[in-house]
Amino acid sequence: MRYLRLFFLFWQTALAARMEYRANFLAALGVVFLESAGMVFGLYLFYQNGYDLGGWRWQEALLVMTAARFLDGVFVSWINPNLRRISERVQQGTLDFVLMKPADSQFLVSVEQFTVWGLPSFLVAGVLFLYAARAVALNAGYFVLALLLAGVLFYALAFALATTTIWFVKLYNVVNFLGAVLWNAQYPMSAFDRPFRLLMTYAIPVYFMTTVPAEVALGRKGPGFLLVLFLLSLWVFLFSRAFWRFALKSYSSASS
Amino acid sequence: MLRKAAAFLSVYYAHMTVYRGEILFWLLSGLAPFFFMAIWVEAARHGLTDRDPLAFARYFFFIFVARQLQVLWVTWTLSEEIKNGLFAFKLLQPLDPFWHYLAQHLAERGVRLPMILVLLAVFLWLYPGALVFSGWGPLFLGLLASLLGFLLNFFVAYALGLLALWLEEATDLYEAWYVFFMLFSGYLAPLDLYPASVREGLFFTPFPHLAYLPASLFAGARVERAASAFLVLILWTLLFYLVSRWLWKRGLRQFSAMGA
Repeated sequence: MRYLRLFFLFWQTALAARMEYRANFLAALGVVFLESAGMVFGLYLFYQNGYDLGGWRWQEALLVMTAARFLDGVFVSWINPNLRRISERVQQGTLDFVLMKPADSQFLVSVEQFTVWGLPSFLVAGVLFLYAARAVALNAGYFVLALLLAGVLFYALAFALATTTIWFVKLYNVVNFLGAVLWNAQYPMSAFDRPFRLLMTYAIPVYFMTTVPAEVALGRKGPGFLLVLFLLSLWVFLFSRAFWRFALKSYSSASS
Repeated sequence: MLRKAAAFLSVYYAHMTVYRGEILFWLLSGLAPFFFMAIWVEAARHGLTDRDPLAFARYFFFIFVARQLQVLWVTWTLSEEIKNGLFAFKLLQPLDPFWHYLAQHLAERGVRLPMILVLLAVFLWLYPGALVFSGWGPLFLGLLASLLGFLLNFFVAYALGLLALWLEEATDLYEAWYVFFMLFSGYLAPLDLYPASVREGLFFTPFPHLAYLPASLFAGARVERAASAFLVLILWTLLFYLVSRWLWKRGLRQFSAMGA
């Protein structure tokens, strides 16, 4: 309960700080809508010529894009601003202040920031979902559940990557890297050439974040796959916690 | 003059090698053309177009190279330095800060280039036969187009960064420019597959000439109206140069030294 209250307190102040820069905010809003329109158009280029991206119908492929947009919103509004600050804190030595606070340090560095710039992504995801759901039969409950699990998996992976900043000091871009790979996974996995399919399934498992939720919702994969996703997310989450604690042992504070 | 420039570049080169991990991950974040290549190659294998899959591989590889030669962060740096007041120290020097930022970017390319060569090796291993040497002429023209593209991007980014003098925060404005670039430059799909009317409309915007033009030249492909394309690119570069100078003059009057 205490953590929940902290959570809301953090978000409130972060929101207030962001709204100060209104021009910047409006630009960011427009950017997301334009970008989404462009990505839908890019997908349309294939379907217009009668190609079905590895056996996916147009609306089914849009469901993959829905998942990608949703996670992009999570990334922009929450994961990226927080994890970037870890690097900043290590650089300036202010991580000390976090470690001294009487609450879980991973929790503190993970939820403190929140930006509203992810909201348009959520909005786009909602619209895409409604459009897809009208045209194809899908299990919305499975989809939402899979998306939440995908969110956990995404966060845990990003956090583990961001943790390496403890050793490398300045490494903002490592979090961006994961975001970029996810951004590339907004088309169904079977549309990619084989080396890339392997890369996105085993090396950087974005396949489980965008294509799998759509597959489960459409019944292409049985509900048992939700369990796979659950176990994978849980494993990576526990790993990220252990890794953070391990990394902190190497953290030598600001003055040393 | 020349000695000053060389000293500047070598200082910033040393500075940039410190951030090689950062640059590596930045490079890896820019792999989007390869992912889209993977989709187009797969589509071409299934007969979406009559084009050879390797032609797509070649196109997107050079799109990647052209983009890498043009990446920037000057909007971000300017915006940050204006916000936290560091900008004032740059103004104290008897040199336009513009040269600091430009030297930073040019020197960074020196750190980035070896990494691109490693990627080139991986690419050749995955897609043997995709790249053929098309002669020095196309290579030179491709580099020239990339350099012009870099300057255009730089002036745009510089102008947007200077807007921080009025807005305090301008980092996301460059994002808007980038999204236009991404959608209209042939970055995610070969421009010649766009509808002809769209292509015609885009010809007079700067975007196709930032990616499609250098990539096609590098690849040794036949480029229609190459001379006019260069002309359009040069005119836009000049325009944004003037805009950034004008904003600079206006902005200095606006700046109040301490974090504004």
